[in-house]
Amino acid sequence: MKTVRRRRPLSRARIVRTSMIYSVAACFVLWILFPIWYTISSSFTEPSKIGVRPTPFWPANPTLDNYKIVLGIPIRDKDCTPGVDIGNCQTAASNVSVNKIVDTMLNSFYVASTVVVITLIISTIAAYSLSRYRFVGSNFFLNFTILSRIVPGLVLVAPIFIFLRVLDLLNTPWALIISYTSFTLPLAIIILKNYFDQISVDLEEAAALDGAGRILTLRLIILPVAVPGLIAAGVLVFLESWSEFFFALVLTDSYTVPPLLAGFLSMQTFNWTLLSAATVIAIIPPVLLTMIFQKYIVTALASGTGK
Amino acid sequence: MPNRRFGFYLALPAILVLLVLLAIPALLTLFQSLFVVPDDGIGIGQFTDVDNYLFIFKNEIFWATCLRSIVFAAIFIIGSTLIGLAGALLLNEKFVGRLFLRGLLVLPWACPWLIVGIIWKWFLDGNIGLLNGVLMRLNLISSNQDFLSNPDTALVMTALAATWRQSCLVALLLLAGLQTMPRDIWDAASVDGAGIIQRFRHITLPWLRPALTVVTVLNVIYGLMQFDVIFAMTQGGPGSATTLLSYLIYRQFFIFTNFGVGSALAVALAVIALIGGLIAVKTLYRKIEV
Repeated sequence: MKTVRRRRPLSRARIVRTSMIYSVAACFVLWILFPIWYTISSSFTEPSKIGVRPTPFWPANPTLDNYKIVLGIPIRDKDCTPGVDIGNCQTAASNVSVNKIVDTMLNSFYVASTVVVITLIISTIAAYSLSRYRFVGSNFFLNFTILSRIVPGLVLVAPIFIFLRVLDLLNTPWALIISYTSFTLPLAIIILKNYFDQISVDLEEAAALDGAGRILTLRLIILPVAVPGLIAAGVLVFLESWSEFFFALVLTDSYTVPPLLAGFLSMQTFNWTLLSAATVIAIIPPVLLTMIFQKYIVTALASGTGK
Repeated sequence: MPNRRFGFYLALPAILVLLVLLAIPALLTLFQSLFVVPDDGIGIGQFTDVDNYLFIFKNEIFWATCLRSIVFAAIFIIGSTLIGLAGALLLNEKFVGRLFLRGLLVLPWACPWLIVGIIWKWFLDGNIGLLNGVLMRLNLISSNQDFLSNPDTALVMTALAATWRQSCLVALLLLAGLQTMPRDIWDAASVDGAGIIQRFRHITLPWLRPALTVVTVLNVIYGLMQFDVIFAMTQGGPGSATTLLSYLIYRQFFIFTNFGVGSALAVALAVIALIGGLIAVKTLYRKIEV
């Protein structure tokens, strides 16, 4: 009687190891999904079903009504008994200001994209200069930039608040664009400087031999090579601007998404199912961006900030 | 144009912007912390020497809040680092569903801090939160627990919520560090008879030290500055059980418009963060040479 020898005998150690790996993995999945799952499932739950105890894992009759209300899409009248099903009534919902979410997200996009453009233009040339040239105070400037990542926004907020009030910019998108630049600029400079440091100087020397000027070299030779660094910096700046809450709370009247959601929380009668739908919609853009550009961002963060 | 000056001109826009938006406001805050600032915040009012600092240092509330901030930060830093390290080690192994789990890590990380607070407030809700529902089904509790209204649990729970997001970022960053580790070092050590724990201590951990330093500095900053999660979950309550320094400063500035005291508190927070960051860098870097 011959038995075919298994290639990988199931040794005791291997079984222990494999079961360890899968149990830790299961714990991790639970740790990540458990809290956020409730928000997701609530966003598909009818408001009247929210009080069921003990809380179910799965919405009983999944509905898209919360999303429709939040996005301002009319829902059929028969679902709505005014005065009873508050959450299902469009008229009631419009008082609750959740359906501002679309406008507010557009505001957030506007602020974040403008911050990205301004930050990238200023930081690219500054980072290139720090990587290639020495000038009086260049070391000091670099250290100042790195150190400034530790300075809390709370230290800056009062003078910035007063500046903006004097300039009559409070409550405008510019209040946020200006104040966000104070922390996105150092971040982008550090990431891009690290990136330029990795690009060989040979390229520039070759270009100089061919008679290209310094600005032309930067534009035509260096920038195309630096695209991954620019993507990483741009995405991180976008995410920071999209997520920022403190300045947006203090300097504007719920102009971007985080303070809008926070304002919704502080209301006397608010509806968790609607807030859940709004929350899910609000995290779709940053989640997509992070998923798509994950590699660039992680590389930049892991190699960069600690220098 | 000489290279020096060309370099300076390239950096000039950034220098100007950071001067106006960072250096001057920071100095003004430092300045205002020495004065009795009028309510509208314009002008600086009367010079008071270090009275604002004496006021906060003599105040029990300040020290209690400092302690709370440090406890919050400690839970956050240790929790994020340990959970993140476990996650990174796990994802460095080969198993079915590895890519799925890696993708999942992005989910908390991509959430803005405020939304992390909203998600956890709802998750922990004392009436119909999912955690209560699950603990009830498992018969671990007999009645619903209101985690966020209980002064004994509120601080831990807010720190846990913040840890939820940060642990995922830590895992991704440490994983990036692990993946650059040459596999042959491990194999060589294993041939030499080093056990898993020995290999972890003498090979993996030293290799991860630079990444751990980056991560810890980030954790110290986010831990000590945390505002959004507290704002969403507890607004500093119940009582002052979750009032961190950041929240105290916010209230001094924008609720009591007490710019002088607020500025002094903000300077104190910046100093604490700086010390925390330095301690992190010093302890983690020194061990490399040992």
